Amino acid sequence: MANLSPVRKSVRRRLLILLTCSLLMLVAGATTVTYWIAVRAANAAYDRALLDPAVDLSDNIRMESGTARLELSRDAQDALMYDQSDKVVFQIRDSQGRIVAGDPSLPEVGGLTPGTRMYFDGKHQGQSQRFVAMRTPSGYLVQVGETLNKRQHLVRDVLVAELVPTLLIALAAIAVAWIAVTHGLAPLERVSAKLLHRSPQNLEPLDEADAPDEMAPAVQALNRLLERARAANAVQQRFLVNSAHQLRTPLAGLQMHMELFLRRPLAPELRMEVERMHKATIRTARLANQLLALANVESASEQRPELVPVDLKDIADAAAREWVPRALSANIDLGFALDAASVMGDSLLLQQMLNNLVDNALRYTPSSGTVTVRTGMRGNIPFISVEDTGPGIPAWARAKVVERFFRVDGTLGEGSGLGLAIVKEVVDLHHGTLTIEAAHRESGTRIVVAFQAMSPPMGNAARA
Amino acid sequence: MLLAEGLTSVLTHAGHAVEHAATGKHADLLLAAEEFDLVVLDVGLPDIDGFEVLRRLRLRQSATNVLILTARDAVEDRVHGLDLGADDYLTKPFSVTEFEARVRALLRRVAGPGARLSIAGMTVDMAAKRVRIHDRPVDLTPREWALLELFLTRPGRVLSKDQIAKSLFSFDEQLSPNAIEVHVSRLRMKIEPAGFHIRTVRGFGYVWEAAGG
Repeated sequence: MANLSPVRKSVRRRLLILLTCSLLMLVAGATTVTYWIAVRAANAAYDRALLDPAVDLSDNIRMESGTARLELSRDAQDALMYDQSDKVVFQIRDSQGRIVAGDPSLPEVGGLTPGTRMYFDGKHQGQSQRFVAMRTPSGYLVQVGETLNKRQHLVRDVLVAELVPTLLIALAAIAVAWIAVTHGLAPLERVSAKLLHRSPQNLEPLDEADAPDEMAPAVQALNRLLERARAANAVQQRFLVNSAHQLRTPLAGLQMHMELFLRRPLAPELRMEVERMHKATIRTARLANQLLALANVESASEQRPELVPVDLKDIADAAAREWVPRALSANIDLGFALDAASVMGDSLLLQQMLNNLVDNALRYTPSSGTVTVRTGMRGNIPFISVEDTGPGIPAWARAKVVERFFRVDGTLGEGSGLGLAIVKEVVDLHHGTLTIEAAHRESGTRIVVAFQAMSPPMGNAARA
Repeated sequence: MLLAEGLTSVLTHAGHAVEHAATGKHADLLLAAEEFDLVVLDVGLPDIDGFEVLRRLRLRQSATNVLILTARDAVEDRVHGLDLGADDYLTKPFSVTEFEARVRALLRRVAGPGARLSIAGMTVDMAAKRVRIHDRPVDLTPREWALLELFLTRPGRVLSKDQIAKSLFSFDEQLSPNAIEVHVSRLRMKIEPAGFHIRTVRGFGYVWEAAGG
């Protein structure tokens, strides 16, 4: 799993970025439109007021001996041009373009026929201004301009009135989207959490009802994949079981024939040869057995057997009958210290486990050594342990010996390298823990399997 | 085939008349037609249902001894076989010596009461419950005799103290583990001259160990 791309695409982040960007663009667009409308509204409202002084001015132009003159006192002019917030300027020109009155710096406006007027934006003394220009029927050009203060106030007021609620709505939309996305993705997260927490052996299909509609195709595809994996697994397991099975009986026969052969009087070299073959046959038969056992345990763990109360003492009891004769012939003192220890378990698999533990112990313990099987409770934890006086497993190898086909180099005995792998499978299936330690100061092995405490009369202990 | 041939050879060598059936059907026919002392039944073969053969045998009320051959990992088979009325089991692969010992033990049962058994230096008169070692009579108490019987029908087998206590229970009150120890050690002393040992299995019980099975 190390090759996951460092930047993963988050649906949530993408959704939110998309949503935020489009909302911001929407707000920007709305602001532009509102601004445009506000400016138009402000002009519509104030242009009328700008025209009034222009009309007043035009009414007060008099012709005196060929020259036009504004017949208005300075005070009257000031009153006419007075405005609370804006600076107002005016200019009057006659039909020839000569300045009659007002600010001479205003440029002339062309293209106006008598009796018409126009409004326009312009600049005066470095300030943006709004102007009205009208040509009287008698040909005078009257211009009045004012700064934009009150218009800008109005635009600002309109913008604020419009924009604040819009922004609030946008923010609310983002918040709602965040919650909705999180909420909407929750089923996705549930499904992934389920996948994450299931054991790698569990190839059960996912519950499609659990996933939202949008995920159904993905879940179905996954289920098809799981189904295929399961089928492939089953085929593999069946093959393993069958081949081990088919191997075992001829191997048992081969072993028997060699034993019979060894009973005959044989030349020493021949005897040695046959003995070697006999040993190899036993080893091969054992390997076939162990492969089959591992396949069985694996398929059992896939089928998740129902765990029922089992006393480890009974399991050890059965193992005793099996192993005492072998211990005897190997001159090993196989002993027991059995106290009741109830666990939730599968007794066949537990026997399998103990068989392998004892087999291992006997295999690696030299003649006149000791092997002891214990069951009992440590506090409320039921355990079973097997300890021997063999050479022990070096600390570095303890984690590795449960791996398949791992063997400590130079060890005696003829292990298949599968025994502890089988044990580990069974322990895992029971949610137990496997501890390998030195039984004595320098030597010997003690393997302790601790199980989960039985929850008192709960009945079916909950399993994940 | 290889295994069957080997077993046939071992049994023939021991002086038994042997019939070999390669399929369950054949075995069933043979067992229905003749009375055998012992059946060695391989229930591990997937294409032959040995259990069915066993079931039918017991259905016919036959008392023939049945030794089933199973795989070590096939604990279910073993339990199932014993439930169906098998008398003993061996797990594959096994040694010839082990096989011979089991066969002898089962055939000893066939000998039944009234038979005389001669093992190593010991002669046992099952009916009279008398034992002679090297032609000298040995006195056994009823409990010692019961113990001996228990061991003789289960050679190589391990007896837990619980099991012994249950078997000897019928005499009177329940036996304490200490009492069992006493009985066992007395029997042990009496039969040791014949070359038999009753070994103690630490924390468990006893195992019968004999040179000749």
